[in-house]
Amino acid sequence: MKVLVLNCGSSSVKYQLVETTLDLIKTNSDRAIARGSVERIGTSSAIHTYKSEGAEKTSEVKEILEHRVAIADIIRTLTLPGKGVLKDASEIGAIGHRMVHGGEKFARSVLIDDEVIRQIEECSELAPLHNPHNLRGYHAARQILPGVPHAAVFDTAYHQTMPPVAYLYGLPYVLYVRHAIRRYGFHGTSHRFVGWRSQAILGRRREETRLITCHLGNGASVCAIDHGKSVDTSMGFTPLEGLLMGSRCGDLDPAVLFYIMHKEELTEYQLTTMLNKHSGLYGVSGVSNDMRDVLAEEAKGNERARLAADMFCYRLRKYIAAYAAVMGGADAVIFTGGIGENAAAIRERTVRGLGFAGILLDPERNAATVGGKEGEISPAGAPVKVLVIPTNEELIIARDALRLIEGVL
Amino acid sequence: MELHKLGIVGGGMMGRSIAEKVAAAGIQVIVQEVSDELAEKAHTALVSSLDEELRKWGITASEKKVILGRIGFVSDVNLLAAADMIIETVTEDLEAKKRVMAELGGICPPGVIFITNTSTLSITEIAAASGRADRVIGLHFLPPVSRNPIVEVVRGIETSKETYATAMELAKVLDKTAIEVFEYPGFVATRSIVPLLNEAMFIVMEGVASAEDVDLALKLGYQFQMGPLEYCDRIGLDKVMAWMEHLFRELGDVKYRPCPLLRKLVRAGHLGRGTGRGFFAWEGRQRIPSARTEAAR
Repeated sequence: MKVLVLNCGSSSVKYQLVETTLDLIKTNSDRAIARGSVERIGTSSAIHTYKSEGAEKTSEVKEILEHRVAIADIIRTLTLPGKGVLKDASEIGAIGHRMVHGGEKFARSVLIDDEVIRQIEECSELAPLHNPHNLRGYHAARQILPGVPHAAVFDTAYHQTMPPVAYLYGLPYVLYVRHAIRRYGFHGTSHRFVGWRSQAILGRRREETRLITCHLGNGASVCAIDHGKSVDTSMGFTPLEGLLMGSRCGDLDPAVLFYIMHKEELTEYQLTTMLNKHSGLYGVSGVSNDMRDVLAEEAKGNERARLAADMFCYRLRKYIAAYAAVMGGADAVIFTGGIGENAAAIRERTVRGLGFAGILLDPERNAATVGGKEGEISPAGAPVKVLVIPTNEELIIARDALRLIEGVL
Repeated sequence: MELHKLGIVGGGMMGRSIAEKVAAAGIQVIVQEVSDELAEKAHTALVSSLDEELRKWGITASEKKVILGRIGFVSDVNLLAAADMIIETVTEDLEAKKRVMAELGGICPPGVIFITNTSTLSITEIAAASGRADRVIGLHFLPPVSRNPIVEVVRGIETSKETYATAMELAKVLDKTAIEVFEYPGFVATRSIVPLLNEAMFIVMEGVASAEDVDLALKLGYQFQMGPLEYCDRIGLDKVMAWMEHLFRELGDVKYRPCPLLRKLVRAGHLGRGTGRGFFAWEGRQRIPSARTEAAR
C-alpha cells in the first residue's frame, strides 16, 4: 500500500510517500518512494521541493497561500507524468498524519473520525503551537482526498507507558487532577523506531532489553525503554524540558523565570520565545542553533562555542547515567537524530566518563559511523552496546496507518 | 471569508502594530500612507520596533525578516483594491474617518469589509459614509496593541451578522480575546476607565495624596500592572482629555468632566511620556523612578 505521510507545521508541510505492506515491514524493506516539502506557505514565494527515488531533487517557487493548496500541489506533483511516482491519486491507500500532542487520551495511533478530531482539539490547549497546524493539515487533506482513511500518529503516545513516579511533577497533586499537568514526553515515534530497529543489531527482542535512546536533533530528548516500554523521558509537559537543545534551554530552576521577567521587564510571550528560540546552543554560544556551526566555531577557538557544546554533552551524560540508574543498568545506548547520527565528536565527548557504567566507545567505529549509517560503535565485547541508528519517523507513521487499516495494531 | 491580504489605512503606531501581528500570522499586508515619504517612515518605524522586540527575545532574526517580507508600504490608495478586508487606523477624527470610508467605498469591491479603528467615535456615522453600512464594523484595541489581549468588537446599527462574524475571526487571527459591544459612547473599556482616571487626578489635585502614592495604592491594592496616573502619562494626557471631553459632551454626565489639573497640565504642554513630563518625569520611554516607588518594587 502507498501511504502519504504528512507533517504540517504553521507554514510548512513535509511529506513522504511510503510503499509498505505487512510483509515488507517484517523484513524492514518498506521505503519512501518520494519525499518533499512545501515551505513558506502563506506567501507568494512558497517553495515546493520534491525528490522521487532515483531522480534529482527539484524545487519550484510559487504562490501558495494555505495548507489546502499546498497539499493539492503535493498530490499534483506526485501524479505529474514524468516526475511523479503515481499514475493517479487513487493509488494513495492511506494518509498518515503526525500529531504532536495526544495528551492522556491517546496511548497509540488511531484512525481519524469525528470523535478523534474532537479529542485532538481538546489536547490542543497543551500544544497550541503544533496541534492546530497538524489538524489544519488533516482537514485540508480530507477535503482533497475524502475517500481515503486517515491515521493520526502522536509524538506523545509512546510515552504513555511511563509510571506516575516518572511523569508527575513535585507540585500539588490537584494540579495534575485539574489541568493534567505532568510529563508527556515527545519524539515518541523516533524513540519507538530506533528501539524497534535495535533488535536486529542486538539480536535480542526489545522486550528483553533495557535501552537508553538519545534523539539529538534541533530538539533533543532521551528515553529510558525498559523491556519495550518507555519508562522515562527527558522532555516534559512541553518540549522545553530536559537536554540543552538547538535553541531551547532545557532544565532550569523555575524561580529564574520570574526573576528574569522582573529584571528585564519581559512579557510572558517574550519570555516564552526567549526560552524556546533564543536559548540552548544558540543562546550560550551566540553562534548558531546548529551543532555543526557551533563545532566549527569551537575549532576556531571560540570559547563560548566550546562551552555550549560541553554543556550539551554534560547534560546528556547526566541523563544517560540517570536512566541507567532508573532501569538498574542498560543493555544498549542508541544515538539518533541529526546530531546523534552525524556528530561523532559529540558522541565521544558524551560517553567519556561513562566507563564506570560499562558504556564505552570504539574510536574508529565511532568515527566511521556517520552520514546516515547504522552500526555499533562500542568496542567488541563491551558490556553495554552503543549503537547509531538513523531515525525514520515517517516510516513508523506509514506503518501505523497500514496496520490500523489491516486491523493489526 | 478567507483572509489572505489585509489592507491597512494609516501607518501610525496602531496601523503598524496590527500589520506586525497579522503578518506574523502568515497573512499578507498592505499599509497605505498619504505620501511615499510617510510610507517609508512607517516602514522604518516598524523595523525599529521589530528590532526592539528582537532585543527583548520576543522574535527571532528570521521571524523579523519573514514579517517584513509580508508587509508592503505604499502611498497609492488604489492598491488597496487587492485586499480582502480593510482596517482604517487614521487619526481619531470623525471627518477624517468618514473621508477614508467614502474613498475606500469607491475603490474596493462591494463584498470587502471595512473595519474602523476607534476608541470613542460612532461606528454608525462612520459606516454611513462608506456606502456599505452593513459591511462596516468597529474594532477598539487597547494600547499597547501588540501586548494587550483584549479587543472590543463594536457593532453599528446596520452592521450585519456576517460582518460581525468576520471581525470576530480577525480578532482570533490577531490572538485577541474579543467582546461584543453595541455602539454607545466610549464603548465598554474607555467609558469605565475614564471615571477612575479622573478620580485619581482629583485626589492629587485636592492634596489628599501624591501622584506616586495614588498609583501605588491602586497598583498594589488592586493588582493593576501600573497606576492610573502612569497609565495616563503613557497614553498621553491630551488623548486622555479628549476621551473625557467626548464622553462629557455625548452623555452630559458630570462624572466625565475632565479634572482641572489635567487641563492645566495639557495647557502647559506636559503631556506625559511623549513630552518628558506629565504626572511623572520621563526619560525616553522610561519613567524616572522616585526613591519612594523604587523602594516599593
